[in-house]
Amino acid sequence: MNEDRKTQILILDDEPIVWKRLKPALEKAGYEVEAFTQSSSAMRRVQEKEFDIVVTDLKMEGVDGMEFLTDVKTRSPKTEVIVITGFATMETAKESFQKGVFDFVAKPFKRGELLEIIRKAEAKVFGK
Amino acid sequence: MRTDQLMNIFGRLKKALSSRKSRRGQVPFIILFKTFQGILEKNNRILDLMAEMGDKLGGDYVFDKQYIVSSSQEMGDLVYKLIYDLDTIAPRKYFDLYDAFQRISHEIEEELVGRPVIPQADLVIPFETISRDSGDVVGGKVANLAEVHNILGLPTPEGFVITTTAFKAFMEYNKLWDRFRQEPMTAEVGKEMRRLIAQGLLPPDLKRALQQSIEKLQQAASDKKIFLAVRSSAWGEDSIHTFAGQFKTFLNQPAEKLGDRYKQVIGSAYSPSAIEYRAGKGISEDEVAMGVGCQITIDAKVSGVLYTLDPTTPEREVMVINSVLGLGAPLVSGEVAGDQYLLSRTPPHELTAVNVRRKPSSLALKAGGGTEVRSVPEELQMRPCLATAEMLRLAETALIIERYFKKPQDIEWALDKNGQFIILQTRPLNLQSQMANLVCNLTAAVQEYPVIFRGKGDIAQRGVGAGAVVIVRDDQDMEDFPAGAILVSKYTSPRLAKVVPRASGILTDVGSPTGHMATIAREFRVPTIVNTGEATRVLRPGQEITVDAEENVVYEGRVKELCYYEFSEEPFEESYEYRLILRVLKKIAPLNLLNPHEKNFAPGGCKSFHDITRFVHEKAVEELLNLDFQKRKLDAPARRLKLPIPLGLMLIDMGGGLEETAEGSVVEPGQVVSIPMKATLEGMIAPGMWSTEPMSVDFGSFMSSLTRTFSSSLATPKYMGQNLAIISKEYMNLSLRLGYHFSILDAYISDEINDNYAYFRFLGGVTDLQRRSRRARLLAELLEAHDFRVDVRGDLVVGRIKKLDAARMVERMRTLGHLVSFTRQLDVKMVSDAEVENSKETFDRLAAGKAPEMN
Repeated sequence: MNEDRKTQILILDDEPIVWKRLKPALEKAGYEVEAFTQSSSAMRRVQEKEFDIVVTDLKMEGVDGMEFLTDVKTRSPKTEVIVITGFATMETAKESFQKGVFDFVAKPFKRGELLEIIRKAEAKVFGK
Repeated sequence: MRTDQLMNIFGRLKKALSSRKSRRGQVPFIILFKTFQGILEKNNRILDLMAEMGDKLGGDYVFDKQYIVSSSQEMGDLVYKLIYDLDTIAPRKYFDLYDAFQRISHEIEEELVGRPVIPQADLVIPFETISRDSGDVVGGKVANLAEVHNILGLPTPEGFVITTTAFKAFMEYNKLWDRFRQEPMTAEVGKEMRRLIAQGLLPPDLKRALQQSIEKLQQAASDKKIFLAVRSSAWGEDSIHTFAGQFKTFLNQPAEKLGDRYKQVIGSAYSPSAIEYRAGKGISEDEVAMGVGCQITIDAKVSGVLYTLDPTTPEREVMVINSVLGLGAPLVSGEVAGDQYLLSRTPPHELTAVNVRRKPSSLALKAGGGTEVRSVPEELQMRPCLATAEMLRLAETALIIERYFKKPQDIEWALDKNGQFIILQTRPLNLQSQMANLVCNLTAAVQEYPVIFRGKGDIAQRGVGAGAVVIVRDDQDMEDFPAGAILVSKYTSPRLAKVVPRASGILTDVGSPTGHMATIAREFRVPTIVNTGEATRVLRPGQEITVDAEENVVYEGRVKELCYYEFSEEPFEESYEYRLILRVLKKIAPLNLLNPHEKNFAPGGCKSFHDITRFVHEKAVEELLNLDFQKRKLDAPARRLKLPIPLGLMLIDMGGGLEETAEGSVVEPGQVVSIPMKATLEGMIAPGMWSTEPMSVDFGSFMSSLTRTFSSSLATPKYMGQNLAIISKEYMNLSLRLGYHFSILDAYISDEINDNYAYFRFLGGVTDLQRRSRRARLLAELLEAHDFRVDVRGDLVVGRIKKLDAARMVERMRTLGHLVSFTRQLDVKMVSDAEVENSKETFDRLAAGKAPEMN
């Protein structure tokens, strides 16, 4: 973990249960977490602040997670994006990786699994 | 697909199929067999999926509603195809399965679109038989109280609940349902509803059930005439929403008034304030279901309310007790303030503030029913209601309840004339926002506490608990175990169950998360980490520690922030998704059809998808056994295999599985040449595997054991269940039902290594959870020791192995044969964790061809 400041994580998923279950585990693990259910507000937030790691769902009511993550990667290439999705197909996985996504996790997943991936993504962000 | 569309399709399909001319006898056997194999495959996938969904209740997984929807759909799809497959094997014979399927999928569909279905349950249920998670039947308030009594063992008033099923019956009987479902609910409609409910008649079976319940209570109370408190217990009341003060309560009512009071209480669901409350909270009218609790009146000396955490100043970590003389109603309604005591939450619960108020009057029970206000003698008016020792007792009790529900609690209690505290009601205090403020800097806070160990052991029950370490070595330690301490023990032992409800947390050196201790810890929801390897060595008695069984960390000191964090989190069990998957699983997973010889073993008896699956499997085997091979002009009739063990096993040879000389309806084991079948049989009949009972030596018992064997073999196969093997030279598919175990072995062994595989599935039956989990563990360990890849989900054990050469595959089949026979007797044996090890040793010894040790 970065010594000076906490690693900043943004979670976007239109089902509140997802971040409700993730946020506590991540906060206890020492991360600073902001969670969003609406991609428009998440979109606004990434314009104001640079996050180290973004965890996003792919298919949400009304918005496209792909669009959101493309925007994040363009704005801040350093940010690592982890995709969590309930509709995992080869195509979406491929497309995500082409956009530079760090990892692709199918829902449902174990909290520990995601935490592990976040640790790896963190190591990459901070060049460890 | 929408339900109604689906229904339409079923209807058409059913019609089409039933008009189809019977082609039985024309379906080639190979197609029948392929269909049968398809049934087995779907059967496996259904059980897997069921177990996967069940796993989601454990709390490790993050899942959303989409998951629940899509897995329910997959499940429905599989079950539907299963029924279709059976229809191919036995055209039109089990048509009613489509109805059962339709009914169950409709119920699941209703749950998924947010129209909860009021379950079919008894109209009246005594409190003591209410099981956990039955909130949808008994309502939230009664469900909470039943757990306090039935799980935590704390005193609560006796009585019964008039269930939500009765509510539905009442509404339907009086034709009130349709009426209010047509119009949007307004205060006007509500008023009309109340009028109609008041005029309504109790359905005759409800009347009868009430009469019986009252008589039972009256008998228990002997000659003293009983009086009842009649209280609302609506869906979600006192759990997700408090509905505080929204519904009516009647105290000290004579039994003959119960019917009228019942109607008044359910009518209060349509009071203007209740309607407004629902509108404000976004609760739909479909979610209105009212249970009504009927409790024996408690003649209270003192009553009151306890908050396990003072909501006004949570950071001060004190509990608040408010109390009055007599009945608590004036305090609860806010008419009087009563005495107030503040106690520290930490043992020994020091009294930090006392505010004794003048109590000029009290509410008391009136002879003949109802209540009356009485004046309190001058000299008692300024006396504190409770003695310090009483407060301590109450505080400890309250914290047991809080630890169980994992939230600060708002508890109504009464002190009866015998000096016993009776819990009247408990509900969570909603402090989420205050809590969030207290833990704004969790990471920094946590870093201040040294970590004693991290990541050691296995989490058996999630949660966070803090307290002083008590190392329990013997019974005396258990007697002295203080409430709220952390139980630290070398072993997990069923004897520890006594103290578990009083512990804030549990750590053990050895043990397994599927073991007995884990089961008990889960029952009482005590945060537990087992198998830490060193807890008793590293921790000192009396040391204050915090067990974080969410992240698997043990901290030195009381990490208040973590405890508060737990309070601020919505407990997983309270989340919408948890409750939804639980409700959906109730229509999927329970197995009600156990015995094929019982009357309910019929399509109409199927209450869950599991029932349908079980039924189809049983009937598919039966149909295959009863095929009329003569008519089919096939030379593959089902033949009985003669075995030295009392097991009725039928064989169907598809080619090359039996010696060519084998003729007639009975086959000797020696005539079996199917490679996997032969090996399996050898394993099954190996000495000692079927029964490890010592051989009798005297003639008398020798004879009796002979006749025993004789009679039980006579009873086969009908009695022992349908056991069927379908074989060829390289292939075997064996379905076994031994007692209540179901095993399937499916294997192919040839010289082509890449084609070789063996699949073993074991599903246990009716025995208690601990024995089942021990048996599953034993099986898993034995299978793993023989290189199988093993999946254990609850009591379902699946072992797979593939791509070994023929000789090695044959060895594995022998092992599976051993296991099939050996596990037959495990049920009764799995009384302790140690028995798992014993059985493993016995098995290994037997498998190595040694006689079992006599003991």
